[in-house]
Amino acid sequence: MSSLVAFLIAFPLVVGAILLLVTRASVRTPIVLVASAAIMVASVATVVTFGNGTAIFFGLPGGMVPGLALFGVEIAITAFIVIIGVANGRFLAPAMALIQLGIAAFLEVTGRMPEVDPQRLFWFDRLSMVMVLIIGLIGSLICINAIGYMRDYHRASPMTRGRRNVFFSLLFVFLSAMFGLVLSNDLPMMLVFWEITTLCSFLLIGYTRTEETIGYAFKALNMNLLGGLGFGLAIAVLADQHLGLDLARLTASPASGVLLAAVALLAFAGITKSAQMPFSSWLIGAMYAPSPTSALLHSSTMVKAGVFLLLRLSPAMTGSAVGYLVTFVGLMTFLFVSLVAATEQNTKKVLAYSTIGSLGLIVGCAGIGTPELAWVGVMIIIFHALAKGLLFLVVGTIENRLYTKDMENFDTLLSRLPKVSVLAMAGIAGMFIAPFGIVVAKWAAIKAFLLVPGGQGAVMIAIMAFGSSLTLFYWGKLLIKVLSMRSVGEYERSIERRISRYEWLTEGALAIGVIAVTAGIGVISDQVVGPYAISTFAGGSRSFLTIEPAMLIVMVVAVLFLPLLALWASRGKYDEADFYTSGRSANSSHVMGAALGSTRSVTLRNYYLEGVINGPLMFRVGSIACGGILAAMVFTGMVAR
Amino acid sequence: MTPAIYGILFVILAPVFGGLLAGVDRIVSARMQGRVGPPLLQPFYDLGKLFQKQARQVNPVVEPLLLAHVGFMAVTGAMLLGGTDLIFVAFVFALAALFLVLAAGSVDSPYSFAGAERELIVLLASEPFFILMMAAICKVTGASTYAGVLASPELVAVQLPGVLLAFLLVATIKLRKSPFDISISHHPHQELVSGLTTDMSGRLLAYVELTHWYESALLCAFMVLLFNWSIPLGLLVFAIAYALEVLVDNSTSRAKWQLVLRSTWVATLLFSGGNVLALFLLGR
Repeated sequence: MSSLVAFLIAFPLVVGAILLLVTRASVRTPIVLVASAAIMVASVATVVTFGNGTAIFFGLPGGMVPGLALFGVEIAITAFIVIIGVANGRFLAPAMALIQLGIAAFLEVTGRMPEVDPQRLFWFDRLSMVMVLIIGLIGSLICINAIGYMRDYHRASPMTRGRRNVFFSLLFVFLSAMFGLVLSNDLPMMLVFWEITTLCSFLLIGYTRTEETIGYAFKALNMNLLGGLGFGLAIAVLADQHLGLDLARLTASPASGVLLAAVALLAFAGITKSAQMPFSSWLIGAMYAPSPTSALLHSSTMVKAGVFLLLRLSPAMTGSAVGYLVTFVGLMTFLFVSLVAATEQNTKKVLAYSTIGSLGLIVGCAGIGTPELAWVGVMIIIFHALAKGLLFLVVGTIENRLYTKDMENFDTLLSRLPKVSVLAMAGIAGMFIAPFGIVVAKWAAIKAFLLVPGGQGAVMIAIMAFGSSLTLFYWGKLLIKVLSMRSVGEYERSIERRISRYEWLTEGALAIGVIAVTAGIGVISDQVVGPYAISTFAGGSRSFLTIEPAMLIVMVVAVLFLPLLALWASRGKYDEADFYTSGRSANSSHVMGAALGSTRSVTLRNYYLEGVINGPLMFRVGSIACGGILAAMVFTGMVAR
Repeated sequence: MTPAIYGILFVILAPVFGGLLAGVDRIVSARMQGRVGPPLLQPFYDLGKLFQKQARQVNPVVEPLLLAHVGFMAVTGAMLLGGTDLIFVAFVFALAALFLVLAAGSVDSPYSFAGAERELIVLLASEPFFILMMAAICKVTGASTYAGVLASPELVAVQLPGVLLAFLLVATIKLRKSPFDISISHHPHQELVSGLTTDMSGRLLAYVELTHWYESALLCAFMVLLFNWSIPLGLLVFAIAYALEVLVDNSTSRAKWQLVLRSTWVATLLFSGGNVLALFLLGR
């Protein structure tokens, strides 16, 4: 086990280092392919050797302890941030990085750091298992997809062409850090991996080095470093009070006193990383990076690290005011970003808001700290990782073909890019089509919120009801656009043929994954997520959430219906009948006869609820509200001591 | 009888119920307007005629989407009476309704598209209510299935007056009655008459009509949930509510979508939300 885990962390790192030196695409492609395949195999192998599923703890091969090496990495990260910050004339990030380093140095120098148990560095349980599979399988597929995507991307924007080696290198370093993060049991070690993911996403977002992307990259860096500071302070508090830095021991039961203060600080870190309001804007800014970056940040890495930490903390938050406030940050974020998404026309931004909303649901579940809601949280992680990874890759493919991100320009996609539409359908069905995946999770969440005592439960259910309807609305609009059809010419039919095989392979695999996981939801629940929830929380029982056969059948039919329909419709030729235009002459290119023999062109636009919902205002209101709740959460944690 | 049989019975009998209701509706409406009106069974004759007529296919996805619309609506009812979790049923209900939006939206025509968009708006307007209603019913009775609620000693409507009030408002949307009939209407004076059915003809139009009958029957079944002490009582209240809807339908003109969305959301939040909040605060 320990050597497999060491491989998962070290191997992508080595590959990343090699790729940094490789500038020729012909050499890079086979390396990426082989390395991705190796990571997939290793992550599956790790899970297979896991045995009966009881949580296990272990150290590095040979009983080594990272010790001062961790401190060395922290110094390196800080130095890098200081240099790059000063070089760009931005001083907030260097300041925060230096404070972080100062905390670590203080703890080291004053001898407050507790002794590390070399046999409890890593923690592997069913939650880490789910995460390892997500990072290993979906993350690797995204790396392979990037081979095809980046080729087309640089054809359109050749300026940054020469830095592709950095891009691919970062993808693999990211995977390495994520593996380290989800397997860590020692908090200082987890913090180092945490900061590496922050740094990687900063570099990936700023990849194109335009003024705009550099701005967004620093925004992401600042917000995540702030969260990292919360993490560092939590470690300082724990070390100072001699509570130990063993995550599994700290979160075994509901926390109180000083421990709750540390939990609140860690929850703050988790909330920044999972881009909850008021820290949502960094993830929206990340949209301007190449699509594999978005896919990676949104589905298998980065934001999932945030909710992963919150789920780890969940047993410690049970029943506390801190936990309830964390829940409200998540649910309010879900509601407000859904309102914003309903008014948004940029498809990638819609996907981003939807990610933040789904993460909000997970955060909401984690705060309550019951087995039922932990079940829901992990289920959303699984479905969201697959479906959102697929959707971002598909939208990236579309963007490279049609040169647009605007939802309005996606119309008649089924006629223009039929096979891509099939994949898009699978992704959208996976994301929201009631009653699949996430909707099962929403349903389960409402059932669990019914059990929450007092007025909070009612508010939570109301938020779920309105938020769910908004998701139906914005996904419905996208579906309408993708599903519409018209006859297309030979040129338009040829566009799809130029999509690379790497993109077909990876997006197809993810689409199959979406369907397989839907069909297998019962097995996943019984074998993995259910036992995780029961064993992690005191008093958990098997009495909750059984998925009846009728539900399962409806879900599988629902998720298969749209992709199969798209597949069928794209194959057969059809005789197009003109649509009805009140007797006016019209043709399929939307030119209608108007008064006095003149002609007018017709455009069909979705509704964006102008005049009813003000998107930017909702974003601000939500950020202020969630900021207030978050401040109250940290304050409550501090007062509790 | 097992619940599964009730589910199957719903699939068979709901269209009969919905068709008769449509027949009564047309007679009552006609009398309100000083006309005699068609025979009671006219909706069935109309449906039969539609099935015989040639269907004009504008594109290949409309028909499958409409079949999914009928199918999922029937399944919603079957699941409701067949003992599936009530909150889950609310989600399937929304999915079934969504297929009509997709069918109309896939037609690249202005009238259809406008109808589809408006239908999506009314879905957005009505969906929160149904989720809240089901959650409230589960909270009051402690049951999670149809049979469980009917067996509960609590009379649900007494505990949920706010939900009942909001139901009357939201039902206007689902029954496609003025002033909320913004996506499709049976009144010839509205600005967008056929709306989302503009490009559907023959059996395609028949599917839409048939689904509407299923939907009417579903609403009636929801009303029985609120008056769970006796099924005849629920039917009676539904009849009264329906008569009210017909009256409102004939005496109001169509609202703009902004008003539809705002009024139903405010009603849902104030009446249903307030009702649910009170339940939680009182520890019910």
